[in-house]
Amino acid sequence: MFGGFLQDLRYGARMLLKSPTYTAIAIAALALSIGANTAVFSAVNTLLLRPLPLKDLDRLVFSVALREGFDPFGSSLLEFEAYRQRNHSFESIGVAMQRSFNLIGRGEPERIRGALIMADYLTTLGVNPILGRSLTLEEDQPGGPAVAMMGYGLWQKHFGGDTRVIGEKLNLEGRSYTVIGVMPPGFDLPEAAEIWLPLQTKIDSLPLTDRAVPGYEVVAKLRPGVSLRQADAESKSIARQLEQEFPQVRRGWGVKLIWLRQELLGDLAGRVNKALVALIGGVGFLLLICCANVANLQLARGFARTRELALRRALGASRSRLIRQLLTESMLLALLGGAAGLVLAHWIVPLLAAINPIQGISLAGFFHNFRIDSRVLAFALLVTLATGVIFGLLPALKGAGEREVMPSLKQGDQHSASAPGHGWLNVLIVSEIAIAMTLLVAGGLIARSFNRLQHVDLGFKSDNLLTVKMILPASKYSEYRQRIAFVDQVLERVKILPGVLSAGTTTNIPLEREIAYDSVFSVEGRPPVNPNDVPITSHRLVSPDYLKTLGVTLIKGRLIDETDRAGKPPVVVISEELAREAWPGEDPLGKRIKRVRPNQDFLWMTVVGVVKDVKEDLFNYRINRPVWYVPYAQLENNFPVNLVVRTSSDPARVIAAVREAIHAVDPDQPVSNVMTMNENLAGVLVTERFSAILMNALGASGLLLAALGLYGVMAYSVSQRTAEIGVRVALGAQRIHVLQLILSQGAKLTLLGVVIGVAAAWALTRLLGGLLFEVNATDPATFLSISLLLVSIALIACFLPARRALSVDPVIALRAE
Amino acid sequence: MNNGSDPLIRLSSVTKVFLTDEVETHALSGIHLDIRPGEYMSIAGPSGCGKTTLLSILGLLDTPSDGSYSLKGHEVANLSFADRARIRNREIGFIFQSFNLIGDLTVFENVELPLTYRGMAASERKSFVTEALDRVGMAHRAKHLPSQLSGGQQQRVAVARALAGRPAILLADEPTGNLDSRNGEAVMQLLKELHENGATICMVTHDERFAQHADRTVHLFDGRVVEDRMAA
Repeated sequence: MFGGFLQDLRYGARMLLKSPTYTAIAIAALALSIGANTAVFSAVNTLLLRPLPLKDLDRLVFSVALREGFDPFGSSLLEFEAYRQRNHSFESIGVAMQRSFNLIGRGEPERIRGALIMADYLTTLGVNPILGRSLTLEEDQPGGPAVAMMGYGLWQKHFGGDTRVIGEKLNLEGRSYTVIGVMPPGFDLPEAAEIWLPLQTKIDSLPLTDRAVPGYEVVAKLRPGVSLRQADAESKSIARQLEQEFPQVRRGWGVKLIWLRQELLGDLAGRVNKALVALIGGVGFLLLICCANVANLQLARGFARTRELALRRALGASRSRLIRQLLTESMLLALLGGAAGLVLAHWIVPLLAAINPIQGISLAGFFHNFRIDSRVLAFALLVTLATGVIFGLLPALKGAGEREVMPSLKQGDQHSASAPGHGWLNVLIVSEIAIAMTLLVAGGLIARSFNRLQHVDLGFKSDNLLTVKMILPASKYSEYRQRIAFVDQVLERVKILPGVLSAGTTTNIPLEREIAYDSVFSVEGRPPVNPNDVPITSHRLVSPDYLKTLGVTLIKGRLIDETDRAGKPPVVVISEELAREAWPGEDPLGKRIKRVRPNQDFLWMTVVGVVKDVKEDLFNYRINRPVWYVPYAQLENNFPVNLVVRTSSDPARVIAAVREAIHAVDPDQPVSNVMTMNENLAGVLVTERFSAILMNALGASGLLLAALGLYGVMAYSVSQRTAEIGVRVALGAQRIHVLQLILSQGAKLTLLGVVIGVAAAWALTRLLGGLLFEVNATDPATFLSISLLLVSIALIACFLPARRALSVDPVIALRAE
Repeated sequence: MNNGSDPLIRLSSVTKVFLTDEVETHALSGIHLDIRPGEYMSIAGPSGCGKTTLLSILGLLDTPSDGSYSLKGHEVANLSFADRARIRNREIGFIFQSFNLIGDLTVFENVELPLTYRGMAASERKSFVTEALDRVGMAHRAKHLPSQLSGGQQQRVAVARALAGRPAILLADEPTGNLDSRNGEAVMQLLKELHENGATICMVTHDERFAQHADRTVHLFDGRVVEDRMAA
């Protein structure tokens, strides 16, 4: 048996070497599709499958607060406490709050991402320090000691990995903290934290309004056997109870549980998952095209080997023996293609990593580390073997089929004037074209959607803008006038820098990946019609010149200017969307609106200007949200200060000068997130870019394979129809008739494939609905243009064999008879 | 040999040289040949004597290396591909040894094919095809595929295809070569009837029995005409 296998292997290798062109084409096609499959799987593996440094990851969930019509929010302590007391689905639950700190006294002041956590947060995640200890419940009480846990990277950077760090002091925001532990390498939850301090909050004693603030990250571990759906249902039930118990702060709020892994990908809307599923479908389709292609080559080759196989059968080879031999050849070919595919994947994987679709910033060391590990290798082997069976089975069955083999010996070398039917070749090529059509339509729709997203009107001019984030420490800037003075002085210095055209500050840079601040508002003389309707606007506190610097379009009125200072009549500039919501059909100028928070009273602000809608929020990129811009000097806050600088040329050139200007005002003030606006925007559409690039690469590959397949079938057909062409020429056929004969054969196959492909795409692209923006899944323009593209390419693929048909010499063709 | 009318075909000093691996092979050397309307001529000779090459040149499938070829008084030796195809389609009917019917087309469609290339209207084609099939007694099999016919029947269809366009001459290359003697005889009888009804026929055969059906036999040897005799 084994000897027979070796013999088959040897013979298979010899057959492959005998037809080097065929072998090279088949291996190239297999390498392309197996390589693409392996590379995409490496992305799926990294993002969805590979273990993370968290225990029981498959039971860890994340709670998201929702309001209808808004982007997802973080959770509130009210929800956390209710979960902790009433939920039966969770084995444990923890809470954290993302917070950044200024680290002082260790070189240049540094802004460090960190978190305030309850002790249960780390135990829920199953993470323990590698050095020192974790927080104790006693340390997590109000008034508890100032202790901190450090991230591995921070420990390495500032203490060189010295194990005597435990007990050392860290100056954060001017307060000294004792280091009690060092976290394992790579762990940085939540939100790329490098330092963890105890929350030290007694939730029950907080005012209700503070408990209702949705700025916390709640993670929970499901009890064994509890599904996400069950836990989600229970959480929603608890949210409804909260709405009844605390309508003043919970009206209109709901919750949703998602897997923690999904949250870590920054994928609250589930688009990464959908994109990866679509891509898996795409590479699967590419593999099918490849299988059809190689099967076609095998079949055509099988026809040429009919006599050889017939002879083997006549010499006593059983059908199963012949099938085994042909399958061995196929498997050998598949393994060679798989090996080449792995090499190709090795090149593609870093390219995929470079266009990583995720927006999450935690565990970057894991989520950005696309690589070919043992699981990917196993997948590649599985795909290779499956491919070998899929493309090899039909040719093997046909080649070894009793009916096909025996008559061929009797027929000898007789030829007929037309090619044998070989219907399977046509079936396979039509399938290839149909699948390629489906792939191309999917790619076309996603590309069109991505194009629309890229050309969404941001409402501002993103070129030549530099952004810098500054968190003013409360310890140093305890009075609001100090913050105003700092902002004024920095702007004064930055505005006169060479190359700077203008500068301003805001509390949130448009579309940044940070907490975006919102505000509930009330319109003077117009209470909400529906008591459940709690109007919310994006809440931006800006300096004079900020809107001018951003390049927004003033629709009417004026922008915030130098006259809008503290003590002056409160004013506000609103977006068109807010104007539409607050005063539909009316002129908002001169009308008044104010911020609303329970137990706080804010002054009415007079609308002095209306600007075109600005895409302020990352999660609202696809829709317009209301925004208002309030003078920074007129509303006290402790939000981050973001400096926005418009330059005359490349904004990166002024970075050093801007840093100097800031440190000239306050040498200890850390700056972070120094980047151009376009760099910031590049992170907005990562998932869409990933899908668009890959799906179109797959579509193009599918088109190439289908065109190659069609070329192969037509070339084979021409070779088989040489005699027929000779007869036709002898009967007076002109060149155009011969051309028509071959092209019409190819066109018929192509059109049939396109029609089936359109139907398949019509059915399947609906699944892409969630990934598309302003493009219908059945967009006629895409379907039509892709059909034309495919037909054009197919005709080109047919044209080469057709040209060869023109050169058929009727004398030689007929003599061959 | 000269019956007084102008020749339908006149070959003068026709030679055909093939170059293979820089070796010149003279397939035909200085062929002079007239074929007059209504003649039934056979070309005979041993294998490799140049019969098929001569037939290819007569059928405008090949061009002579030297010499002239006039068909109906027009020089056709060095026409373009398109012109040769047009003349072939209108003036010449081919009958091949292996029938060369197109397997995917019905009997009717096979016979219709040369008329289609001529750009003839469908109704006219139908009438021409029906007439041709009637002449060979195959009208009742018009809808069949070649694979559903016997060898003799296939060759009758091939004859109908050659006749359908009402060509000036029928060129038959070993028309009985793939047939048993009974079917071979039947096809020869058919050609004879066509001749009696006025068709000009030039047939290549190496079978003396069938060569005798013709009025005139031209013998080739080593690319030269060695004998040209009329039937007794």
